[in-house]
Amino acid sequence: MPRYGMVIDLDRCIGCRACLEACKVENKTPEGVFWMHVFRFEENTYPNTKVWFMPRPCMHCDNAPCVKVCPVGARFKREDGIVATDWQRCIGCRYCEVACPYGVNYFNWQAPSDGQYRDDWVYPEDMQGNDRPMPPWDNPRLDERYGEEDRRTAGGGREKGVIEKCTFCTHRVENNLVPACVDMCPQYALHFGDLDDDKSVVSRILAQKSSFRLLEETDAQPRVHYVGGRAPSGDVRSVDDMKARI
Amino acid sequence: MSTAPRTERLPYGVGRVTGQWLVLVLIALALTVVGVVAFAIESQQGLIATGMRNVGTMGGATWGLYITFVVYFVGVSFAGITVAALIRVLNWDYLKPVARIAELLTIISLILAAIAIIADLGQSLRGLLYLPMYARPQSPFFGTFTLVIAGYLFASLVYFYLDARRDAAACAKVPGRLQKFHRWWAAGYQDTEEEQQRHYRASFWLAIAIVPLLITAHSTLGFVFGLQVGRPGWFSAIQAPGFVILAGVSGIGLLAVIVALVRRALGTQQTLTLDMFKFLGKGLMILTLVYLYLMAVEVITAVYAAEHHEQIIFEAMLWGDFAWQYWLTVGSLLLAVALLIWQAYTGRWSIGLIVAAGLLVQIGAVLKRFLLVVPSQTHGQLLPYPQGTYSPSLIEYGLIIGLVGLGILAFLLFMKVFPIMEVSQDSPEGERT
Repeated sequence: MPRYGMVIDLDRCIGCRACLEACKVENKTPEGVFWMHVFRFEENTYPNTKVWFMPRPCMHCDNAPCVKVCPVGARFKREDGIVATDWQRCIGCRYCEVACPYGVNYFNWQAPSDGQYRDDWVYPEDMQGNDRPMPPWDNPRLDERYGEEDRRTAGGGREKGVIEKCTFCTHRVENNLVPACVDMCPQYALHFGDLDDDKSVVSRILAQKSSFRLLEETDAQPRVHYVGGRAPSGDVRSVDDMKARI
Repeated sequence: MSTAPRTERLPYGVGRVTGQWLVLVLIALALTVVGVVAFAIESQQGLIATGMRNVGTMGGATWGLYITFVVYFVGVSFAGITVAALIRVLNWDYLKPVARIAELLTIISLILAAIAIIADLGQSLRGLLYLPMYARPQSPFFGTFTLVIAGYLFASLVYFYLDARRDAAACAKVPGRLQKFHRWWAAGYQDTEEEQQRHYRASFWLAIAIVPLLITAHSTLGFVFGLQVGRPGWFSAIQAPGFVILAGVSGIGLLAVIVALVRRALGTQQTLTLDMFKFLGKGLMILTLVYLYLMAVEVITAVYAAEHHEQIIFEAMLWGDFAWQYWLTVGSLLLAVALLIWQAYTGRWSIGLIVAAGLLVQIGAVLKRFLLVVPSQTHGQLLPYPQGTYSPSLIEYGLIIGLVGLGILAFLLFMKVFPIMEVSQDSPEGERT
């Protein structure tokens, strides 16, 4: 069984947000929801200011606080380590959201508004075995059950009143593709693969470069490793005072 | 207690509808309707109708007024079982008249808490089904649903039912429309010598069993917050004891207020004596002082040596976005304590001042719970997200108003079908016809 993980090279990230866009298109997430988010940080003061970017997917923690607190087992860890949400089990208590140190959970406060996604798109060739992210339409693969657990993973649905978050694009990983954000990154800043496989791209990068993980002190043991930079310290400020409120 | 009229009329106005009572019922009903409408709108639109939003990039708080009041209602429920258990275990007989009011307060507030949780869920119906079906003991929520809402409520109901059987048997002797109901409640209880013995034994052991449940239940609710390592301001060992103490403060405070209202409404000045209020007042004073101490310890730790994010939260509370709620909490608790200490010092107790203190601590209790739930979400993100905001929407206020109305309604209705205070005297030589 593979042990999937992600490596993010902060030196390579130019803050283009292609990953964010790819995620929205691939997973047809509702308004104001960013399963992949890219921070823009400002550090120090003029003339020593440094501005840098940090993508933030779900960390798919090994000791995931969200999995621990879920009262009904809707949030679960798959055998391959992907932390997924069975949106048909979720009761919408949002405990996972307050438990998560990284703030990656998004609740469906309402049903998606009409016309947000095309449901009249007829593109049969896109439904079968393409290796590109899908256009923003109802991708039937998102809804399917996956893995040994044979459970929903929070793609699809977009049901009102349940929690969803980054799935590492389970529907793509199950078909031997990398997540959409990794696929779309023009800078090769994002990498995805099996952490147990010495020859995988993630293992090779981690063997060569010094890496860190975010918020190690919470002992969540995330599976997203960062290289080529350092963790945001206390005096790092987020430049985008963005509240993508709905 | 006079025995003559009891043969024809039920005690404490049971079964007799007065104009005043009807007006109160209509007001409570109107408030309840507000809540029902709010819940209907929320169910139809989804939780978008509330002021809650996602933490992090959406800059909101995902738990808000509902969770605040879940904690508040569960806290209020503290009073009933404590008082009832203490009466049995420690033989505090002069508190006996308030026992039933207190138990009723426990039961009603627990039901209100359960409804508030259901209103907070994104998938309410699914929650009712799945919470028992797929329950996970590893989740701190499990304790809330099993120990608090189920175990605590069930234990209270059993205690309430058994404890009231003597009165039900007494009431069942009075002919009328309610006779059948009282006979059903008494369930064959005849108040013979042997049955009385069994009655006392049963309620004594039930009371003993309930006391540990009381501590664990309120602690469990504290653990819902206190065990979250990723949430600065919540992650603290002080949460569990703090919850138990503040539960006592709000519960005993509200009990004093309700007992004073019942006293006024039924004209039972002889039974509900000043001594009894004194006892409630002293209890409230001690618990509030302990809670203020805990608050002081919490603030000193956070301001002096807490890690970065916790300091941000406390700065927001002490002189930032949440300052008015914080200082209003501190002010109301301090004022309540001052009122009580003054009375204890001079030895001149007045029911009015005790009730005032009881009302003041309600303000403190609600706001303190709000300050527990919200700032850690809007200002306590460990990653450098921009700070969030949260203000409850009208729907949320409406639902809470509805819950309060429902609670009042339940109290009023119960008062007319069953004596709200104990009728039977404990002494075996007491007259019962």
